[in-house]
Amino acid sequence: MAEAMADSYSQDSEPTTRTLLRRVLDTADTRTPQRRRSAGIGAQKSLLETPSSRRLSSSTKTNARRRSQRARSIGRLAHVQTSGHLEEQTPRTLLKNILLTAPESSIMMPESVVKPVPTPQVVQSSRQESIRGSLELQLPELEPPTTLALGLLAPGRRKRKLRLSVFQQGIDQGLPLSQEPCGNTSASSLTSSLNLTFATPLQPQSVHRPGLARRPPTRRAVDVGAFLQDLQDTSLALASPGNSLRTPVATLPTDTVLEDTQPFSQPLVGHSPSVYHSLPCLSYTEAKDAEKAVSHRTQRSGPKLQNHSPVKPAQLLAGKSKKVDALAMSFPNTSSAIAGEDEVEPLQGGVGENAEERMEESLSVSEVKDTTGTQGSVRTDKSDRNETSEAVEAKEPEGSSGDENISGRTASPELASSTTEFLQARQLQFLESAPPPSTAILSSEPLEPLPTRLPPRARTLGPRPRQDPHKTGLNHYVKLFSFYAKMPMEKKALEMVEKCLDKYFQHLCDDLEVFAAHAGRKTVRPEDLELLMRRQGLVNDQVSLHVLVERHLPLEYRQLLIPCAFSGNTVFPAQ
Amino acid sequence: MAPSTTVSQRKKIKRKAPRGFLKRVFKRQKPHLRLETSGDLLVRFCPFFGWEWGGKVHLNCLLFVQRLAEESRMSAFENKCGVIKKEHVQAAAKVILKKSRG
Repeated sequence: MAEAMADSYSQDSEPTTRTLLRRVLDTADTRTPQRRRSAGIGAQKSLLETPSSRRLSSSTKTNARRRSQRARSIGRLAHVQTSGHLEEQTPRTLLKNILLTAPESSIMMPESVVKPVPTPQVVQSSRQESIRGSLELQLPELEPPTTLALGLLAPGRRKRKLRLSVFQQGIDQGLPLSQEPCGNTSASSLTSSLNLTFATPLQPQSVHRPGLARRPPTRRAVDVGAFLQDLQDTSLALASPGNSLRTPVATLPTDTVLEDTQPFSQPLVGHSPSVYHSLPCLSYTEAKDAEKAVSHRTQRSGPKLQNHSPVKPAQLLAGKSKKVDALAMSFPNTSSAIAGEDEVEPLQGGVGENAEERMEESLSVSEVKDTTGTQGSVRTDKSDRNETSEAVEAKEPEGSSGDENISGRTASPELASSTTEFLQARQLQFLESAPPPSTAILSSEPLEPLPTRLPPRARTLGPRPRQDPHKTGLNHYVKLFSFYAKMPMEKKALEMVEKCLDKYFQHLCDDLEVFAAHAGRKTVRPEDLELLMRRQGLVNDQVSLHVLVERHLPLEYRQLLIPCAFSGNTVFPAQ
Repeated sequence: MAPSTTVSQRKKIKRKAPRGFLKRVFKRQKPHLRLETSGDLLVRFCPFFGWEWGGKVHLNCLLFVQRLAEESRMSAFENKCGVIKKEHVQAAAKVILKKSRG
């Protein structure tokens, strides 16, 4: 780095410039983003110095463009400008040659070129908003999600996470394009590339956070290796169904955006246009979708899982291809829905349809299990677990589904240090939310067990046969009988007592009627009762009615029945 | 002896008078008759409004049941039986119903 700077400053003659340019071109790969600052300095000097220095700055710019790999059109613009400047200069031919050859070299540049980019970018994304302001150019269509997230809850940590995810998405987009020789120029890619170039000068400030800067390279290493191979394989496998899958993938995210307020669903929309750009290679879009979802999830769950994330899409693609083969194009849409919905639903977590879908997904999961027999027992176990949990979820569709996803996400990496198991789990999760089109048909499934469960619950004793109130009243006296008897007695005896009581009341009423009729009235008065008791022999001269009341009735009744003198010269009850 | 056929002696009883039941019984037997209630205005506000008649009927019935129980118990003892049977109650009822005639 220092050498290059020194060279850029020291050189003046044309042959030296050529060598320097070559050297710059050679060293551009290994250089860190700090080179940008040197370029800036060179530009400042170029104002005063000879045009050669200006050429230098332009060359550095081209280098930066090369490193950004995707800003093709901007690079072209730069070409035009530089060429315009250089046409008057003497060494323009040399520069032209260099510049003309530059883009191809940049495209052909392998991962070594790509590597330096993410480091500053990640650091940038994890920074404060002020830095963010400087990066306003970055992915304009991805901005709304961030603002949404800020408006929703606005915790600082969340923002950072979101930015990380956004950035990862950008990288994911960038990678395939850069590796693709026939990469198309698109607005999103353009802006992202621009952002990359602008982001570099800020890198030294963020050196104090080495942990963040270190992370991406490891991730990259995993990504490039497995990802490309699987992409190639899947591109062959998914050649025919890919076209049919295209539309749902594009449409689904938009729908989710309309109903969803979560910030993570937005990046999908931002990504959907890029899908169209990379249409020629279907496998790429698939992989991108998958990787995007994975990246979002990992971002949410935590940075700890990042190492696993890049490999997942590859596995997913493989599994998807298998599934497509197995289903033999029976549901072309379902497999595509995997990509579309997986990204959205687990994130939402509160979607009511989730449980229903899962119920059906168990079927699909089993199918895939059969087809992909090579998968280990781990996967089967997990599928079983999922099925059981689905059965539980039928009752409470909301919340639990999201929890399950999270649990699966968090638990699996811990269990499986090797990525395969985790990938299987991931694959399962993808497959779980597979068949949305058949929800309407199969939605009745969770309802079925409920009626089967209900009958035993409903099988209770009917309402008690309403007893005759007369009998209940008699029962009171029957109890009194059993109390006074002071002996155990048969039930038939109690029935007999009831009969006796019936007879007694009949006699009583007849007697009272006769007494009232004898007195010439139609109203039965207490005197009639007293007379009856006297005739029954209960009340005689020795034993008055009051005595009987005092003996047999409780105190409250006695107060009401026996007239007693109260204060104020009153007698209650009145005689 | 099967346990279901016998009923042990009741230790606790409600001592409240089933006034509604008594009134209903009388009204069923003699719907054309009225039951005397206290005409005192002061007593109108008493919760046991019209209790005098009901209380006395209850007392009468209570005494009848008590006598019946005593008589049936006596008959059970006479038959040297520890449990009051249907026949004992029947024998006692013959006597007591005659006695309680007005």
